[in-house]
Amino acid sequence: MFPPSALPLPGQVLLITDELLAPADFLLHRFLSDHLKESKHSPALLVSVSEDVGRWKSIAGRSNVSLAAHVDSGLVGVIDAMAHVVPALENDGQRPLRALFYAVRHKLDYPSDKKTLVILDDVASLEWIGIPVEEVARFARVLCALCRQRNASLVLRYHVVTPGEPDELFKRLLQLSNYHMDVCPLSSGRSGSVSGQVALHLGPASAEPECPLVSRNAAVHYRLTDSGSMFFDRGTGNSVL
Amino acid sequence: MSAFKRRTTSKQPPLPSGTRPSPGSPATTITSSGIPSLDDILGGGLPLSCSLLTLAPDAHSAYGELVVKYFAAQGLSCGQRVCVVDSRPDSFLSECMWIPGNNVPPAPSTNASGLSHTTPAEDEEDERASEHDTKIKIAWRYEQMKQFQTTVQSTSQSTEDFCRTFDLTYRIPDATIAATRAEGRFIEVKPDENNSDVSSLCRKVLRRLSEILSSADADASSNVATRICIPALGSYEWGDLLPSDICCFLHSLRALLRRHPRACAAVCMPPHLCQEAFGGAGWVQKLGWLTDASITLAAFTANPYLTAMFSSHHGLVHVHSLPAPHTLLPPSDKFSTLRGLTSSGENNLAFKCMRKRLIFETLHLDVEGGVSERRTTPSANSIAAEAGDEHAHDNDHGSAGTQPGSVAAVQVQLEQTQIAPSAPEQPVKSAPPAEKTDTAVKKVKIKKKVGFISDKPDLYDF
Repeated sequence: MFPPSALPLPGQVLLITDELLAPADFLLHRFLSDHLKESKHSPALLVSVSEDVGRWKSIAGRSNVSLAAHVDSGLVGVIDAMAHVVPALENDGQRPLRALFYAVRHKLDYPSDKKTLVILDDVASLEWIGIPVEEVARFARVLCALCRQRNASLVLRYHVVTPGEPDELFKRLLQLSNYHMDVCPLSSGRSGSVSGQVALHLGPASAEPECPLVSRNAAVHYRLTDSGSMFFDRGTGNSVL
Repeated sequence: MSAFKRRTTSKQPPLPSGTRPSPGSPATTITSSGIPSLDDILGGGLPLSCSLLTLAPDAHSAYGELVVKYFAAQGLSCGQRVCVVDSRPDSFLSECMWIPGNNVPPAPSTNASGLSHTTPAEDEEDERASEHDTKIKIAWRYEQMKQFQTTVQSTSQSTEDFCRTFDLTYRIPDATIAATRAEGRFIEVKPDENNSDVSSLCRKVLRRLSEILSSADADASSNVATRICIPALGSYEWGDLLPSDICCFLHSLRALLRRHPRACAAVCMPPHLCQEAFGGAGWVQKLGWLTDASITLAAFTANPYLTAMFSSHHGLVHVHSLPAPHTLLPPSDKFSTLRGLTSSGENNLAFKCMRKRLIFETLHLDVEGGVSERRTTPSANSIAAEAGDEHAHDNDHGSAGTQPGSVAAVQVQLEQTQIAPSAPEQPVKSAPPAEKTDTAVKKVKIKKKVGFISDKPDLYDF
């Protein structure tokens, strides 16, 4: 059964990497909707760098989660990362991500024994718009530390543009993560019935896997539909084809 | 007496002119890019609040700019506001194509019924006439099937308001441009105005665009969509931009479009900026992530082999990302007939620029594997690589006859190491040298090469 319902575990960091031909939006939406359906009071925080909240709302609506209501009630916090980063960049600030970190910390600043989910979508754009790799890596590191302190589960999303040649930022992010889920396109290109494949690896930050891992050779295929995604084992296609 | 009462239509605001709801998701409003086949690839049209990036890495042609011109012309002709970001917006707009026949543009409120236009079927036919000179004999059971379509048709009257039929041989009349400028529907943004600080040109342009869009939204009475056209992002008037500047600009442009959802944008970059030599590894992927829709028009202009192989097209089309502003899956996956994802795998796409219009088509190999090609020898690329060896053998002609066999063998080796690294030339029409057979050294069998000239009778024509 994929994805494992336990993931992402509280106090742990899950790194999701994707490529342009196989974007991992569906995984993030799935995690968020599962988290909100699981219990009515578990807070979530969405730090969005590239996409606006309207898209999250309309996709959540298709899986019967009314995100707008949760946002209004304060259960789900939304931070528009660029609103904090752009002013700092324009003033030629030395630490453009500091304001963003303070905003995140402020949102998480409540005594909570409930399971909190923090999603950062996405880290790669921060590097592409000109923020130095060192700065982004430090921001990721301090965000991971903050989430571990608060026992919140953190999901980081990173776009891989050079598959097969991991770049500096990816290596740094991988060192911080407990699990690494990578979404890749099929090597035979796009298809109507299979949208891509997902694998789950153990990250360097955890010693032993607490959920069953899926290696790249036996990756699980998924197919995107209007209402979400379905997963099936490679070569089976039961319930899909 | 039935108490049936028709429910009043929902109180949704009327859509801006030139737009319609997307077939895949009614929440999305789409507008035409001016090219019907490109609209099909995008899933009906470009959604409002989305950005379209056209990359044209070929330095000898300007197909990317042509797409942006279509975008601007479509915006003007269906009553939308067009904002051109260029150092010479006037000359850009005056080069745009226009509707043939009646040169007066319709006012935004009236219908397009007053316009006369040649049906696209007519010029379609005179392009096809040259190809169909020989009637192919087909089996009787297939005679009823309709002809193989490589592109979408756009002649139905209902789509006329959505996408006008443009003709590349016509230009926008100056009167039209002046009229739209007077109405406030043509806005110029010049990046190099007030040559202040080059490094903040991008931010200045974004600020100006933000002002334009905010004032357009504040004007609640007019329900007009805005199109932003950037024909040459990063050209020399923008200063020396780094890849991160371009990424930041595209990222902020997309965020701006999301904040003002009645606008959309079409961007094109100069050829030298579309390549990995400028942006580093994975540059095209990064651009695909940073824009909603991005395509590459890879023209064949610089590559004679591809031009010969696909002689009826002018370049390949690579689709990197497609717009999906409210859904997980882009509507194009379900609704695009050109991409063909609903059937088996995805179709290869190509474009051709005919005299009157630009078309995107599916790319298929011809029946015999090529128009003027019969594969009796390895492909053209490997022939060119072996031409270096051929020269070695040719130079050996004189020496092989005079020297004794053992010395000739040594000389052959030397000749080969000298000549082979040089640049391979055109495949030379050469008969296999006859005196090679007497040397003791076992040589590679020289492959027979025939120059393919299509007007001469084919050697293998029985």
